[in-house]
Amino acid sequence: MPCVKVTAGVVIDFDGRARSLLDALEQQKLEVNFHCREGYCGACRCKLLSGEISYINEPLAFVRKGEFLPCCSTPLTDIEIEIP
Amino acid sequence: MAYTTFNRQINDQMKEPMFFGNPVNVSRYDQQKYGIFEKLIEKQLSFFWRPEEVDVSKDRIDYQNLPPHEKHIFISNLKYQTLLDSVQGRSPNVAFLPIVSLPELETWIETWAFSETIHSRSYTHIVRNISSEPHKVFDDIMLNEKILERADDVTRYYDDLIDGINLYQRCGEGTHSINGETLSISLYELKRRLYLCVMSVNVLEAIRFYVSFACSFAFAERELMEGNAKIIRLIARDEALHLTGTQHMLNIMAAGDDDADMAKIAKECEEEAYAIFRKAAEQEKDWAEYLFKDGSMIGLNKDILCQYVEYITNSRMQAIGMKAIFSTTQNPIPWINTWLVSDNVQVAPQEAEISSYLVGQIDNEVDGGDFGDFDL
Repeated sequence: MPCVKVTAGVVIDFDGRARSLLDALEQQKLEVNFHCREGYCGACRCKLLSGEISYINEPLAFVRKGEFLPCCSTPLTDIEIEIP
Repeated sequence: MAYTTFNRQINDQMKEPMFFGNPVNVSRYDQQKYGIFEKLIEKQLSFFWRPEEVDVSKDRIDYQNLPPHEKHIFISNLKYQTLLDSVQGRSPNVAFLPIVSLPELETWIETWAFSETIHSRSYTHIVRNISSEPHKVFDDIMLNEKILERADDVTRYYDDLIDGINLYQRCGEGTHSINGETLSISLYELKRRLYLCVMSVNVLEAIRFYVSFACSFAFAERELMEGNAKIIRLIARDEALHLTGTQHMLNIMAAGDDDADMAKIAKECEEEAYAIFRKAAEQEKDWAEYLFKDGSMIGLNKDILCQYVEYITNSRMQAIGMKAIFSTTQNPIPWINTWLVSDNVQVAPQEAEISSYLVGQIDNEVDGGDFGDFDL
């Protein structure tokens, strides 16, 4: 069970109950910007500081190096992220 | 140099830059230099909708019951949206098609502009429904100073680029005397105009449209003008895709692998790019003041809309690697997000073109037993 460390000091276990990382973050009442929730708008982009994620669907939005879209991804390993 | 609709030069399209290479000859999608544009085309096609599919009849009653200052907010916002889509329905075609060199990008531009024409048609659908004199609403757009002020900034970069392309494709690089006027153009200058134009389109789609969406959804949050909001939601879904398209173009340009000049230009134009964003944000704030000049509405006022302008400007700038220019970090109207979720756009499977529902599907699985009751 990969664990998600958010820079605000919150640690979340990604136990498969949430469909995506965005869902998991929201379940912890963390505020992440979002629009489409399908990977084509890029509104939810966050920084991936360490670890690996995998995309449920390859996003259409432009994702810069060191960033990822939580709306369409799940963690592969323990990860550390920063919500802008 | 001159544009041709079917370039006879045999070229390897995979080696062409996005713009200013050979004009496209064969529209082929079996190979793609940038697969993302092909994916955007497919997504846009799957989003296809028609304004008449949305029932806006209840909006008429809602509109008639709005107090005058809210009528002003609603109709002014609609006029502004009409202007933006009028420009976007034609300009990408006129400006970019004569200089594009990749078939997948050419088709993306056409698909993109076509969807904007659907948006324009939907404004007529909305206005026809809420007013018995729709011509008055449309006639006022060309007379409304507040709208025309912004039209100038929305179109200036397109016009500069188109003007430069005309000169370049007719006369080539250099200084030319045309009708007694001396005009100069270079390929580098054209590329600079292209970069600024794409940047300004990005601002239009990333900030200006979203400010207007906020107003449309603010009515619907109070269960007013919901037919209108349904249409705007479909428009917003398309715009998010267009925005992704321009963001990809800007990032490919800035990376420089596609055309080394463009990376240099992106650096040189950094300050101008910041200025385009800053000016658009200022104009949108002025517009907020005009919208709410006779009074606010529940859930949205001038200050909240101005904060949203700052918030969305920051977030769009960061998306293309720029620094935020405002101190606002919180979205003052978080409720807008739920209006922008694509899941919440209801579509029947045959309209959504989901992969599990294909038109003209054939069952290829035939078992020997299926012929059991056949006699010859």
